[in-house]
Amino acid sequence: MSDAFPDAGLLSLVQWLSPAFPTGGYAYSHGLEWAVAQGEVADGAGVEHWLADVLRHGAGRADGILLAHALEPGADMAALTDLARALAPSAERLAETEQQGAAFALATGAVLGVALAPRPLPLAVGQAACTLGLPKAQVITLYLHAFAANLVSCATRFVPLGQNEGQRVLAALHPLIQTIAQEAAMAPLDSITTSAFRADMASMLHETLDVRIFKT
Amino acid sequence: MNAHVPPPQVMQRSHGEASVAMQHRAGRTRLADLRQQGSAKAFLPRVDGAVPEVVFLNTSGGLTGGDRLRFALTLSAGCRAVATTQTAERAYRAGQGSALVEVAHSVGAGGWLDWLPQETILYQGAALDRRTVIDLAPGAGCLLLESVVLGRAAMGETVTGLAFRDTRIVRRDGRLALLDPLAFGDDALAAAGGTAILGGARAFATLAMVGPAVQDALGPARAALGEPGVEGSASAFDGKLVLRLLAADGWPLRRQVARVLAALRGQALPRVWQN
Repeated sequence: MSDAFPDAGLLSLVQWLSPAFPTGGYAYSHGLEWAVAQGEVADGAGVEHWLADVLRHGAGRADGILLAHALEPGADMAALTDLARALAPSAERLAETEQQGAAFALATGAVLGVALAPRPLPLAVGQAACTLGLPKAQVITLYLHAFAANLVSCATRFVPLGQNEGQRVLAALHPLIQTIAQEAAMAPLDSITTSAFRADMASMLHETLDVRIFKT
Repeated sequence: MNAHVPPPQVMQRSHGEASVAMQHRAGRTRLADLRQQGSAKAFLPRVDGAVPEVVFLNTSGGLTGGDRLRFALTLSAGCRAVATTQTAERAYRAGQGSALVEVAHSVGAGGWLDWLPQETILYQGAALDRRTVIDLAPGAGCLLLESVVLGRAAMGETVTGLAFRDTRIVRRDGRLALLDPLAFGDDALAAAGGTAILGGARAFATLAMVGPAVQDALGPARAALGEPGVEGSASAFDGKLVLRLLAADGWPLRRQVARVLAALRGQALPRVWQN
């Protein structure tokens, strides 16, 4: 299909990673709701800082590397699924990646007319996107952009931020997203590491937050 | 010997490997095998009660670039044991390359291991790559702890340069159950003040319990948090209980670790910690 119309693959990916696609991302804050509730993230600059750290030193880079390997022809999806599940640092982060991944697999399967197994989100994206003929770094860039855009949208509703401030934050993260995607596209699985210790803690502490808008 | 030739400037690199095997016989867990070479040692102090303590020791006095250290404990089916280290481990400024530390424990069917090493203190410029793997047979479980302190607060030391990788892996019946690949390099250290990274804290610990019914311990684990000066969190999922602890310094962290361990195992620290 990408021969007939070179942008067809890209259009499919943009559709799948758009907020309108029924992945349900709007319900998950990745622990950001806790950081905002504590007053630790209180404005646009705080959101940008928190997101940059999570992208660079936490789940962003890790998901990017998982996605790169899921895009590999003949990828061992069962082993990657075990790895992605074992990496989840908390109950809510496991639910976040598994529930969104299952919804994504169901929706892309319906679009493509094939049955796709439920998998943690980066792997669900990889197993659907591997047919699109797109460069890995491009797929990862759009994946990380969707991840960041969703959390900016959470922050816009909950910090709250003005719409324009939210979009400024997202635009400011673009160079970082591109850099991480380029690195992740070529990174071996054993280079997955995390330094986002308090982001993991935030997702645990979110479990016991009294009033919660988001599932995570 | 030519008096004009200066002594070689090659740093002495230490290598060590200690491995211990335990078997369950006549209702008790007993030593089956002990091998040690180089700078690694292991011993079993006399303890009250039926659960033996295995103490590993690095006699080189600390880790630096090029050092190799391996600790291994194999528990046969039905064994219960506690394993720890005799002192805090220090990783000094590395000349060349990283110190490689491999911890490889296995727990036989129905057995249980508490792996409770004392904290690791990372000095400015340290390079340490540590990999801790615990293999659990069906019905087996473990509690594992790793505490890390960046520099010495008493010395006013702020660590800005580091190549630290600390990976914890637990497999259940050969299948990956827990993967915790923590890393702090120069760029992460530069970001460590961020509220998503360490929030400026210098001491952190991870406790993880993997095994049958461990999720039941979430309530007691949460109730044991709240030590002054320590941030703590806990979560139970997928046959695991994971706690993260964060403090400005090693001492409050150690007090909090002791409280959590008391709640999770009915007794506080291994005896050797209290010396």
